[in-house]
Amino acid sequence: MSLWLEKAIARANSTSDWLSPIREASLTALKETSWPTRKTEAWKYTSLKSVERASLSTGDLSEQETPEEIAGFESLNLIFRNGKFDTEGMQQALPEGLSITYLSSASDALKQASLNEVSQIKPERHLFGLVNDVLVEDVIRIEVAESVSISQPIRITSLIGLNSESHTRVYVKLNKASSLTVSEHYQGNAESLNTGFVEYEICAEAKLEHYRFALQTDKAISIGGCHFKLGERADLNSTLVGFGSDLSRVDTDIIYDGEFANAKLNAFYLLDGKELFDLHATVEHAVPNCTTLENVRGIVADHAKAVFNGRIHIHRDAQKTLAELNNRNLLLSDKAEINTKPELEIYADDVRCAHGATVAEIDKHALYYLESRGISRSKAQVMLNFGFINELIDQMPNQVLAEWIRPQIRDRFAKMEVTR
Amino acid sequence: MSNTTSSTENSMLKITDLHASVEEKNILKGLNLDVKPGEVHAIMGPNGAGKSTTGYVLSGREGYTVEQGSALLDGVEILDLEAEDRARAGLFLAFQYPVEIPGVSNLEFLKSSVDAQREARGEEAYTSAEFLKVAKEACKQVNLPLAFLKRGVNEGFSGGEKKRNELMQMILLKPKLCILDETDSGLDIDAMQVVANGVNSQRSPDRSFIIVTHYQRLLDYIKPDFVHVLSDGKIVKSGDASLAKELEAEGYSWIHNEPADELEGDLL
Amino acid sequence: MTEQIDKALEREYEAGFVSDIESETFEPGLNEDIIRRISSMKNEPEWMLEWRLKAFRVWQEMEEPDWAHINYSKIDFQAISYYSAPKSMKDKPKSLDEVDPELIRTYEKLGIPLIEQQMLAGIAVDAVFDSVSVVTTFREKLEEAGVIFCPISDAVHRFPDLVKKYLGSVVPTKDNYFAALNCAVFTDGSFVYIPKGTRCPMELSTYFRINELNTGQFERTLIIADEGSHVSYLEGCTAPQRDENQLHAAVVELVALDKAEIKYSTVQNWYPGDENGKGGIYNFVTKRGICHESAKISWTQVETGSAVTWKYPSCILKGDNSVGEFYSVALTRGAQQADTGTKMIHLGKNTKSTIISKGISAGKSNNSYRGLVRMNPGAQGARNFTQCDSLLIGDQCGAHTFPYVESRNPSAIVEHEATTSKVSDEQMFLCRQRGIEPEKAVSMIVNGFCKEVFKELPMEFAVEAGKLLEISLEGSVG
Repeated sequence: MSLWLEKAIARANSTSDWLSPIREASLTALKETSWPTRKTEAWKYTSLKSVERASLSTGDLSEQETPEEIAGFESLNLIFRNGKFDTEGMQQALPEGLSITYLSSASDALKQASLNEVSQIKPERHLFGLVNDVLVEDVIRIEVAESVSISQPIRITSLIGLNSESHTRVYVKLNKASSLTVSEHYQGNAESLNTGFVEYEICAEAKLEHYRFALQTDKAISIGGCHFKLGERADLNSTLVGFGSDLSRVDTDIIYDGEFANAKLNAFYLLDGKELFDLHATVEHAVPNCTTLENVRGIVADHAKAVFNGRIHIHRDAQKTLAELNNRNLLLSDKAEINTKPELEIYADDVRCAHGATVAEIDKHALYYLESRGISRSKAQVMLNFGFINELIDQMPNQVLAEWIRPQIRDRFAKMEVTR
Repeated sequence: MSNTTSSTENSMLKITDLHASVEEKNILKGLNLDVKPGEVHAIMGPNGAGKSTTGYVLSGREGYTVEQGSALLDGVEILDLEAEDRARAGLFLAFQYPVEIPGVSNLEFLKSSVDAQREARGEEAYTSAEFLKVAKEACKQVNLPLAFLKRGVNEGFSGGEKKRNELMQMILLKPKLCILDETDSGLDIDAMQVVANGVNSQRSPDRSFIIVTHYQRLLDYIKPDFVHVLSDGKIVKSGDASLAKELEAEGYSWIHNEPADELEGDLL
Repeated sequence: MTEQIDKALEREYEAGFVSDIESETFEPGLNEDIIRRISSMKNEPEWMLEWRLKAFRVWQEMEEPDWAHINYSKIDFQAISYYSAPKSMKDKPKSLDEVDPELIRTYEKLGIPLIEQQMLAGIAVDAVFDSVSVVTTFREKLEEAGVIFCPISDAVHRFPDLVKKYLGSVVPTKDNYFAALNCAVFTDGSFVYIPKGTRCPMELSTYFRINELNTGQFERTLIIADEGSHVSYLEGCTAPQRDENQLHAAVVELVALDKAEIKYSTVQNWYPGDENGKGGIYNFVTKRGICHESAKISWTQVETGSAVTWKYPSCILKGDNSVGEFYSVALTRGAQQADTGTKMIHLGKNTKSTIISKGISAGKSNNSYRGLVRMNPGAQGARNFTQCDSLLIGDQCGAHTFPYVESRNPSAIVEHEATTSKVSDEQMFLCRQRGIEPEKAVSMIVNGFCKEVFKELPMEFAVEAGKLLEISLEGSVG
């Protein structure tokens, strides 16, 4: 057990509130968990040394700090400052059928109901999810009423200041046949540690459009997850964008709970310097007739390191499942590193499953072709790399977000060097 | 007309009041058909009428349930037989979309089929050398390069090549009754002519054909003795080759038909 | 259709008989004294005994691995006998005439005649029965070509320098739990040395047979192909049908020096246990080869037996331009469990590896591919291609793929593809519509699925493998 975890457990013991039943269960599980080492499969390629070294407090964040402006993105804004929910920002009027509740100030009935819902989707195996359970201050609940479509996207931003250790938690419920767009933003480059977990319950026939921008860099340690449960004929379209930092880790889980549900997950990561990004994506096909399409791409430059673990688990009775996972990577330097593991675990015979993974360099022929047309090598490289990722940006359903992230990606590419 | 007479003597295939369903949905609802040796019958009709189902029910495909009725092939009731035993009794179905079997060489597959057929007729199995000779000959007859014998069954074949491969099997298996399921679909005129010539070369007084098709054009090349219109699981009109021309001109709209049955489309 | 496929999958294990041969068998148990006794039975030099004892101490410190996708009752290492040999072998028969006829009959029954005149020309056999090598054929003929093919227990005496130099050089004692155990208690196995520039004049083959109850088999194989040489080596194995699980923990080390080529083929048919998982061999095997410059190692395996298989024949591509290949068919049925695959470690420039894995799961079995492809920083221009296909037969089995890809070189290219399929209703119907019986159809389709791997096997073995699969799939009538 690490000192860091011991301290976390010690702090957890002193907390007592409406969440206590969940906290106690997680605390028990946490005490039985050993601190991951290289031999722990889920952390095989990602060292937790930076977490062990971290000695952080409540942190330092200027009151004026605001989420980055996204031109044309007319969102409802939820802001966390160092893990604390900014209630002042929540004075905005909400559309009919949408409720956003800070659960500690909710009615007893809603608290009681939430106790049976929060922490039910996020699998217990995520160590830092358990840490989040015991240390998070409170849970924000977002709920869309049955058959209501909310056109205005919700934007959740975590602002994280220097030396802060923060934990945020959101629970989102889309009732039957409702629809919603949620965009999660994690930003900041200050030395800090944050765990951010969001659970999504997508009931029958409901539709979620989801984004997670895990854009913390440098000394920011960011560990979190988004976990989706899909009911019958539910639909999920999720895009995940990752920049690396000293330690940046995202776990996604897609759990099918009803038949004929669909999920599409696109993810891409661009890593430079000494950055690390680790994505663990798990899909549980527990029922028949569901479809998963996963497309994950990464570009890794300089001394950076990427880790991808994509697991598709087809349970015994999940016949007629269609699941495809594709992971493609480009390595730009001889000090960079990519570790990928696309796993299939299949217990049903009438399924269509495929996965593929490639690690390669830029297509030399394409590079030469561009150069022969008078384009400089560095420019040509940027163009080709960008094209590789741009295909996924083009697939983002929300054009405003696509146009916002595109130039950032382009800038990041422009700075990357190919060293060989 | 032969299909309305009640005589069972000399019938190659006699279908009586055949009712069949797929996933508890009734598709065939009282089909009657009488095919004499050497005759060519065309079954036409709109999408979803039950044309392909007829072929699958007769050849014993799983998932197709016979509710009532009978089908005698050369006097033998076939509806109780396993699929392979119907094949051995002389029934051949040329598939609309022949499936690929990766890694299994066409030659091996053909020899297994022919051996089974010969065994059923009480004949000796071919030796490998004998069979190779026979197979090469059949390959030439349908205009397929010999290399196709070595390739996996239908693996990477074009639409036309698959159809010719079906035809080659027909030539090798020497069936009593051939059912051609939409054999013209996906073929250009040249390819269709090759297939039609192949079929015509196999016509003989002791072999009968049922040609299932949506369009009349194949019947320009393979002249049917009788044409039947199938609608909603029953034959609603029968005639000679001129009926096909009529249908070509007028379409199927004159038949009071339910909208196309999507279920059948899924199963094809 | 499932019924018909199930029927097609029933079979009897044809090698399941027990030979009535009087054996000298150690009492069960494992301690330093047992290791000393094994060593003294073999009349080993002191250095060999020291090597074993060191390994035993290492093993005692290690823990049994639990990362594989298999479940089995814990092995009681004290309940196993670590040495068993036919009594008739005690005086070391000088020629085939002196070998117990019952032993020769045993191998004949398994389809391996040991009388040279009756043998297929072109294959030399080392027959290992429980803990000892009973006969090695064509030794003289091979020696004419300078090829050494003998039991490893002989090699320890006759070629101590080669053994000392290479034993444990590819699979170190500490490599893993079962390899360490093997180092301590290995009893026999084959030793091969092909001199520089020599093409081995015939296929070499070792045939392993476990006969005695409650014994483990711990064989050790070491093959050294000197510069520019070439050898093709085959391995087969069977065991009687028994209700108790038996342990097989072998180590195979291959050394391919510059420009040498080793082709290693295995048809593994240990007793798989019954339909409910009772009995069968626990097969925990470490196989690894090292390729020096421009050398090539090719592993081909057909795995149809064993209750539990844990096996990852691997290549360390150390030399520039070296090549590693792994072709595998693993068929599991009943309650069998297989966790098998390979590791391709690319160290040198322009190294190439190909992995083709075909897993077939039926019954209630579980079949996993586990592989690692690593491109080290020095592996400039290295290439890997991996294709993993699974075929599921029935809805009670499992097929899994755990591929690890690690790349640290930007000019290296790794491609991994995996697919899952079943024997489709359409394929079955096409075959049956053409009059082919369902059993025959399944076996044809499965054979087709495996074709890419079968074509890698040497002729004689390809026939055997095809037959084995057919027996597996066609029922005892065959």
